[in-house]
Amino acid sequence: MCPIAMAPAAGTGPEAGFRGVIRVTFGTAAVPAAEGDAGMAGHDARFDAADREALASLIAVLEQARVGVRLVLAGPPADVAAAAAAAAACGLLEEEVTLLANESGRRLVFCAHCRTANTTVQGVGSEVDCEGCATTLAFSGHFSRRIGGYLGFAAHAEEAA
Amino acid sequence: MTATALQAKVHPAVEGGLLLEVADLSVQTASVTSITFTDPAGTALPGYVPGSHLVVQYGDGANAYSLTGSGRHPSEYTISVLRVDDGAGGSLAMHRLAVGDLVRVSHPRSAFAPVATARHHLLIAAGIGITPMLSHARAAAERDSEATLVYVYRPGQGAHVQEARELLGPALAECTDRGSFQEELTRRLTDQKLGTHLYVCGPAAFMDTVLARARELGWPQGRLHSEPFGAAELDQGEPFTVNLARSGVTLEVPAGVSLLEALENAGKGVPNMCRKGVCGECYLPVLRGAPLHRDLYLSEQEKSANTTMMCCVSRSLDQELELDL
Amino acid sequence: MSSGVIDGTAVLPERISRFPFPFPSDSYRYSTNVEPALKTVVTEAGAWGGRLLDIDEHYRHELTERDAVLTRDPTRLQVLPHMRPAVWDAISTLLPIMAAEHPDAMSFDRDGNACRWQNTLQDLDLEFTLGDDGSLPVEPLRFLGSQIQDDIALLDQREGALWLDAGLVTFAADWSFGFDVGMKFLEVHGPVPRVHQEQIITRAQQFLLRLQPGEKYRRANWTMTVDRRLDTSTETYPQWARDRATVAGDPALPDRLHLRVEVQHLIRLPHSGAVLFLVRTHLLSLSDIARVPAWRERLGRVLAELPEDMAEYKGISRYRSAASAWLLGT
Repeated sequence: MCPIAMAPAAGTGPEAGFRGVIRVTFGTAAVPAAEGDAGMAGHDARFDAADREALASLIAVLEQARVGVRLVLAGPPADVAAAAAAAAACGLLEEEVTLLANESGRRLVFCAHCRTANTTVQGVGSEVDCEGCATTLAFSGHFSRRIGGYLGFAAHAEEAA
Repeated sequence: MTATALQAKVHPAVEGGLLLEVADLSVQTASVTSITFTDPAGTALPGYVPGSHLVVQYGDGANAYSLTGSGRHPSEYTISVLRVDDGAGGSLAMHRLAVGDLVRVSHPRSAFAPVATARHHLLIAAGIGITPMLSHARAAAERDSEATLVYVYRPGQGAHVQEARELLGPALAECTDRGSFQEELTRRLTDQKLGTHLYVCGPAAFMDTVLARARELGWPQGRLHSEPFGAAELDQGEPFTVNLARSGVTLEVPAGVSLLEALENAGKGVPNMCRKGVCGECYLPVLRGAPLHRDLYLSEQEKSANTTMMCCVSRSLDQELELDL
Repeated sequence: MSSGVIDGTAVLPERISRFPFPFPSDSYRYSTNVEPALKTVVTEAGAWGGRLLDIDEHYRHELTERDAVLTRDPTRLQVLPHMRPAVWDAISTLLPIMAAEHPDAMSFDRDGNACRWQNTLQDLDLEFTLGDDGSLPVEPLRFLGSQIQDDIALLDQREGALWLDAGLVTFAADWSFGFDVGMKFLEVHGPVPRVHQEQIITRAQQFLLRLQPGEKYRRANWTMTVDRRLDTSTETYPQWARDRATVAGDPALPDRLHLRVEVQHLIRLPHSGAVLFLVRTHLLSLSDIARVPAWRERLGRVLAELPEDMAEYKGISRYRSAASAWLLGT
């Protein structure tokens, strides 16, 4: 279930058996202030983006942690969603994860027709040209936590000549 | 064969259920006996979700008991009953059963299911609370999922201990005194990998202690599961009377009979569909009296207005209700 | 099986007499319209609903179509790892029911986990072992989907919610199973208008959460489809979207436009505790519907009366006036 983790760089992770709060920020977001976790041990990590490497090191940290741990994720919506999907695959429940996504920033629009995951800074309701099949996609509000993105489908298919 | 169970009126909780034969009795401890039921015709019984219970009728009453098997394609149902000498009489009646007796039981009902996505099952049982845990442990073994059992019992009074040892091997921790259990519990609660779910069954005070300790140590509610006997079913309720204002008819609604059934029995059927309080079809206008709302259809506001009710599941708080019917 | 009534001088064909016409009145709104399964419903043209697994004249054709869709797009079948036991539970629950409902064509025998399944409609005689994926010629859910005409969805219950965690959906009515797999039941229905303020999906979920093993319920849903196109998934939307715009002006509209009715069965599986959703799609052209005068009139009125937001969501707003006008002769 939990994808195979890369070993974290020595000395970067919390100790094995960690049950405190793990705060992960992507990009330049501020480290979120502790809320309701007063008195819990903390571990902070920052990544440029939720890329493969960042997710692998997050997974490695979670594999070492024990039930009781809480996760806080902050940054652009696409990165927070990708990290949340990885955490869910490691067995974290919704109530153990706090998502602090920026209001704007990159989001993932998943093309229903060719399955390309498009990154865009536009918002729900806009149109996005698919990088995979060049279809102009309607960026719908239908969101999948597993995919970490929104459904996009041909915006003008009914009117096309 | 004794026919006592059959002479009694069918209890509402076992209506539409099964008529089974006692096939085996086995003494577990001085106060716990296991009872195995089979179909008299020898056919396989309905499968069940691990952690399910069976409602068994005795005389005019009925009790719920956990099934101890995994639930996969069972040819028999086994329960274990702790004799309670000053109880309502159910456990004493069970202990009086003999091989060959026929007993009315419900279909197995699930209210304590394992979590399919769990990466580890931490099972915690005290005393007779071992019964649903055996079911969970067996199912976990069949599915190749990980399970650990912490079993607390008084020395010499552990039912199913041998089975638990064979089933779990080193994944079984036995505790026979309070101090060692508290230590074991704290150790377990602080050393579980992510994705572990906790299941607890035993006396109410024991369950409260375990759950409180788990919350203290940061376990979220979604990982905590305890056995709520009978919670899956609506209780049969108190009897009440309805006056049908337009037709001038008065009907008695006995315990265990829904208002909808009482109306149908009196030839006053109303449109209905789900008979579970969700579809909204069997809505009735109430003129007087406070209904006991048990449906999922009406909003909280509509419920508190007491002007409508869903007669398939709802009953009456007052002795008497008047309906516009 | 045939219970046709007289239409003029001819007996109605089974595709009409067995069609689950879904409208009890001239106006349609969403509701939590669940009822116990297996109750026969008598309609103006015949009856439907006496069986859980309905087999009709399209059996072989639809299964061939399903196989072709799956071969083109394997994402229509997904089983998240924890749902494997639920798939086997569905197989061991449905095959015996199907054999009991169609004894002339099918039989199922079980001894422990060893099973034998015979289906003369496919010249199939198969021995397999429950729980052993390798004992079937294809993966278990694909096998089940090769025996029944219904689309299959399996919901896991946890954290007080239901999760769409496995399924085989080749005949989707304007949604994407491949995208939705893993979502909560409430999230899957996110795009449906009205149902949220009216609490319809929440109530449906409450009902499903309490469904006990062995209990079987059903509900009907409907939309419209141009031609007998079963695969109207979001994935293939660019291929069929144009028909929605052009059919209104097509003189062949009564033959091309179909009322699409999904008879959905909701079953709590006995051992896994998963909720099994079966979605059986029936298509009947307006021409056929018009052979039953009561249906012709009622569908005409329902289409004329339907609020625009619901028509828009169902994707029928471009042609529903034309359809209604033809049915009502106005």
